[in-house]
Amino acid sequence: MIENVSQPVSTATESLNAARNIIPNQEYLLQGSVMDSAVEVLLHRLRGLCDNVDSGPEPFYDHEMCFSIRGAGSMQPLLLRVRRALDYQDMPWQLRYIGQPEIGDKSRPTIVRNSIDIGTSATVVEFLTELGCRMDFEYIVRGYMFRKGRMKITVSKIFKSGQGKPLDNMEALSQSYLVELSVLAPSGQDAIAEDMRSFAEQLRPLVQLEKVDCKRLQHVP
Amino acid sequence: MGVTVLQQFPMVENRTGPQTIEFLTKRVVALGAVQTGQFLVDCETYMSVPNLGPQRTVHVVHNSEAPASVFAVLESGQRSVPLVADGLFDLLMQKMATIYSKKQPKIEAKGPRFEIADFCVKLGSVTMGQNFKGVLVEVEYRPCLVASSCWELVREFLQGFLGSVVPATPPPYLQNRMNELYQPIDTVNQYLEQFAQYRKATGVR
Amino acid sequence: MEPFYTALNAVKVLRSSVGHVFDTLGNGVRADHGEENKDNKFLLELQELLSTVNVNLRELDQAVNSLTPPPGPFNLGNSTYLTQECTLERQALYADLVKSYKWTDKVHEYGNLAVTLFSQNSLKRSYINSSSKRRRMQTSSHNVPPQTVDQVIGNIDRQFSDMSVTIQRPYATNAVLQITLGRILKAMAAFKGLMIEWVVVKGHGETLDLWTESRHKVFRKVTENAHAAMLHFYSPTMPELAVRSFMTWFHSYNTLFSDPCKRCGNHLHSALPPTWRDFRTLEPFHEECKP
Repeated sequence: MIENVSQPVSTATESLNAARNIIPNQEYLLQGSVMDSAVEVLLHRLRGLCDNVDSGPEPFYDHEMCFSIRGAGSMQPLLLRVRRALDYQDMPWQLRYIGQPEIGDKSRPTIVRNSIDIGTSATVVEFLTELGCRMDFEYIVRGYMFRKGRMKITVSKIFKSGQGKPLDNMEALSQSYLVELSVLAPSGQDAIAEDMRSFAEQLRPLVQLEKVDCKRLQHVP
Repeated sequence: MGVTVLQQFPMVENRTGPQTIEFLTKRVVALGAVQTGQFLVDCETYMSVPNLGPQRTVHVVHNSEAPASVFAVLESGQRSVPLVADGLFDLLMQKMATIYSKKQPKIEAKGPRFEIADFCVKLGSVTMGQNFKGVLVEVEYRPCLVASSCWELVREFLQGFLGSVVPATPPPYLQNRMNELYQPIDTVNQYLEQFAQYRKATGVR
Repeated sequence: MEPFYTALNAVKVLRSSVGHVFDTLGNGVRADHGEENKDNKFLLELQELLSTVNVNLRELDQAVNSLTPPPGPFNLGNSTYLTQECTLERQALYADLVKSYKWTDKVHEYGNLAVTLFSQNSLKRSYINSSSKRRRMQTSSHNVPPQTVDQVIGNIDRQFSDMSVTIQRPYATNAVLQITLGRILKAMAAFKGLMIEWVVVKGHGETLDLWTESRHKVFRKVTENAHAAMLHFYSPTMPELAVRSFMTWFHSYNTLFSDPCKRCGNHLHSALPPTWRDFRTLEPFHEECKP
């Protein structure tokens, strides 16, 4: 292969613009929950429905921190999440920007929101703090991840991290597991939402996966 | 990535930028180097909006040697926090446009890239916006990962085609890290050090 | 098992004495019976032989009586199945037979080729030296128990502070060493007992294994030089000294990037640092500046 030595290198912005149509920046999401007593049955059902039947689900044990940064005036703060694997200390950390869910169309089967996932080095927390972000809260999450084609299903339990190291005195936040079904896709691929809904049907009545409107939850007295 | 040393090649009165690059190219090729394409290191600077408190600057650097990464260095007062992220970090900076605004102009170094034995030589013309500012020479010695072990060796190599402009001591940024394992972010920081000098200088240096 | 063997032995003895009787009978009167009374002598001899037969028969009787009859039918194990399926087609024995025959044939052929190829190499260090005259046992440096190897390597590990040597045994009893020299380089050495067979040198940041060579030209050169040293320091009579000398020589590479060449005074010659270390003085030289 003879390299063309005088061909200029493409800049990062050029490649980003060229790839605009294939960068997965939309997240389609369905959420539900299942009591501790019923989670084994759900895991069993998922194990059969999803890919990699023989190797089983992938366990994960993560620590997530949520930051926010306020711009000029009283605009909405920008929310950023940082996640790291506690069981694999050498893996990159994950920085995630999640936008507001698209309101409107009630007939849409899933929540759709802008989401950018960035792998980073371990200095990301210091970086964000110096940037001007403030940590709103943090938690530990432990559970299993299943895959079916492009869909990712997680069954996880959320723990409050204790004082000092996150690994000591973890107390569970509730007696249930959070079940999430999500797909990260480039914008304009709404057909995937239908596939998600039909998959969610297969998990009834063990768990009801549906669009959860967070704003409504916040206003519960 | 091996130990990399960035050296500024001062401009001479009777030679333009392209002429300097050509002069250095001839010398490098005479040593036996083979050209293997082009390289590009560019830096965009973002500054925080006033109501965020004390001024903070984020330099976002791309290096064609590490095409899947984006390097960001945050400067706040005397502190400097580095971050290495993947390509989508640029999208995030775009989302934060209201909090950190891009400061013009962009400064970049680009030019030919050569390889000889285990060395990699890059001759970069530095341009700020549309203005030519100078020439930077980057030499990477791939087998070695600790600067203190091979500084003399790299210096001898640099002198071989740059002559007496090469100082006896390593660049200031590298001096503090002579005994640590070299990482790609160290190259980025050396470029930022040089770019800062170019920004301050009026005209060519 | 003992009474069984005794009984079998008794049968053998009886058969031989009976055979002797018939032999003598068949030969009739012989020359060594003399001239007088040859018939009597003959008859006497026959009587003796017959009484021996009697004695042997009695012994056999005794031996057999002391044997216990087997408790039941013998357990033949898998060999019972041998007679069960007789048709060749169903057994697939023929196909397997042909395959194993072809395989042994191939092994034989490759073995022959290998012998011709290997015997052409005059730089061999094997212990099968021709000369059948000297039948004394040569000290073979690879017939050493693993504990000795561990001990020798352990001593070398402790001897140099910036060189660490760890032993792995992925191939049965032969050791494979992982050597780390500061933050300059890493190496893997395969041993056969106390004899070094193969060395691969790679940079600090590279993944280390025996089969892939380094990405960097300088370490490929050092690997070649290490092989030369390995052959130079070979000593069949003092294998431990050989390994020690090799390790001392190898340790001198911790200045690979920092020391200039002793002869020309430069760090670089054709863009390579001094990759040669003199076997006696351990001084660094460029490939081209070697004395």
